[in-house]
Amino acid sequence: MHMPVGRSQGVTGSRRPASILAVLLILVGCQTSPDPADAVSIEHEVAPQPLHVGVSTIDLKLTDAAGDPITGARIHLEGLMTHPGMRPVFNEAREAGPGRYQSSLEFKMAGDWIVLLQITLPNGQKLERQFDVKGVLPG
Amino acid sequence: MDLLKVPVLGRFLHWRHARTALQIPVFAISLLMVLHGLFGPDLAPRNLATTLTWVHFRGALVLVLLVAGNFFCMACPFMLPRQVARRLFLPRFNWPRRLRNKWLSGGLFIAILFAYELFDLWASPWWTAWLILAYFLGALAVDSVFKHASFCKFVCPIGQFNFVASTISPLEVQVRDHAICDGCGTRDCIRGRREPENPIKVTQRGCELALFQPLKTGNMDCTFCLDCVQACPHDNVGITSRVPANELTLDTRRSGIGLFSRRKDLAALAIVFSFGALLNAFGMVTPVYTLQSFLAGILGVRQEAPLLGVIFMLFLVVEPVLLLGLAAWLTRKWSGSSRGILPLIGRYAYGLVPLGFGVWLSHYSFHFLNGLFTFVPVFQSAAARTGWAFLGEPRWDLGGLPEGATYVIGMGFLVLGLIGSLMVIYRLAESELVSRPIRAFAPWAGVCVILWLSALWLMSQPMQMRGTFLAQ
Repeated sequence: MHMPVGRSQGVTGSRRPASILAVLLILVGCQTSPDPADAVSIEHEVAPQPLHVGVSTIDLKLTDAAGDPITGARIHLEGLMTHPGMRPVFNEAREAGPGRYQSSLEFKMAGDWIVLLQITLPNGQKLERQFDVKGVLPG
Repeated sequence: MDLLKVPVLGRFLHWRHARTALQIPVFAISLLMVLHGLFGPDLAPRNLATTLTWVHFRGALVLVLLVAGNFFCMACPFMLPRQVARRLFLPRFNWPRRLRNKWLSGGLFIAILFAYELFDLWASPWWTAWLILAYFLGALAVDSVFKHASFCKFVCPIGQFNFVASTISPLEVQVRDHAICDGCGTRDCIRGRREPENPIKVTQRGCELALFQPLKTGNMDCTFCLDCVQACPHDNVGITSRVPANELTLDTRRSGIGLFSRRKDLAALAIVFSFGALLNAFGMVTPVYTLQSFLAGILGVRQEAPLLGVIFMLFLVVEPVLLLGLAAWLTRKWSGSSRGILPLIGRYAYGLVPLGFGVWLSHYSFHFLNGLFTFVPVFQSAAARTGWAFLGEPRWDLGGLPEGATYVIGMGFLVLGLIGSLMVIYRLAESELVSRPIRAFAPWAGVCVILWLSALWLMSQPMQMRGTFLAQ
């Protein structure tokens, strides 16, 4: 699994009617200027594949708009199941190289997971991203 | 024991507005859930609609049914807008005679189970919010057009679940002293009370579900609305303790229901309730993917809806027909019963209810107890979103009981369910064949043991939250 994570990616809710989305977009569009955090690109890789219940390593790559690696960021990871009521798992990522961060999460149950990233950039700016980890198999 | 005689609690339940007082907070929470479902986070574990509906409501519902009675119907928020509407205008029509049974509501119960699997309702705050809204609108629409509690008795799928499960409950709304009823000439408990000067105006409703207290047996169709308690001029209706599940063994004529053995729709509901429990739990474990992939291969179908349809058919039609048909055939052969296959199934199907309830309990209490405190950070987060940070930072690390403990509790419920079913079936067999009940008991006990072993196997499988089987 290796895919860039954009702001809109992995966010559920595509079933909402287009009209409501349009209204929200108009409201948001009227009120905000482009967020520099949007320019941050995050790629992730979860291993070993195929994923099984247990500890998996998660590699993250952060780059800015120019494609340069972002160093000195702090990343907090939270793994959630798609079913409510299940206890989430947490970890912090450590910097393993320029713009490269490594962490691990223990997927305690088979099924679909969502990983939330709370990122604090070196300039103190905070952003949140998420990506899906689908189909974790029984251990 | 009579709950209405317990200090404080009894006084509260006796209060004319007790039901409304319970409904208002539940209504407010439902409103919050709808708003959060429509406008809150899309992540199910972060949303009140999904967390409260699929973790806390379902778990609390079955546990309250187990330890007390149908108090969730008593506090039902869907009835509140309907009550307000009925102050403005009164419905004119009676519920159609052909639909005065459980076929429609039983079908809706299956439809909800199907939609739950097909649309991954547990993972969608948006759809969960709409489901809650649909309940509100459905209740309002039906009861605006049709008199009495038509929605509760003939439509509501949750209500039917509660009615069947409450046959296991230890409490029942019932007459305290039948001798007092014998001398009662007003029958206010079913007729209600009217203003003496203006008989059209009802001052206190009687039972809207057509349960005449002196002839009422058991909890079937009783919403614990306590209208009968309020209406009785002799204070002769209580919420009293009883032997759980005993009513399943009785075949007396029940007010508003008739004979259990003559009600094919009720027997079918009991079968769907029992086999549906296994089906719903089966959707939660890994082997469901193997079955779906196998079916996809042999049918050449990749869409989830038809594959789910086949699985539902297997669980709710094929399996019951084979198992119950065989048990009925063996009963006839071994015991010499003169009843036909269908009447036998119609009689013994109620014996499966304790086991089915055990499976529902095992499943829902797992989610409830595992995620007991997960609503706290969701509330904190929802409050923070609206600028109310006084609840503090969301404690996302809060969970519930350890999985090992909930597993043991779940197994306990399964064992209790099996024991309950075996006892009910033995009593049914005794009434069928007084001299040698074991001959009628054995086939149905065999069915229970097969279902119980299936449930045991299901609960010991690795859990797998669904969603991506066909993508693999």
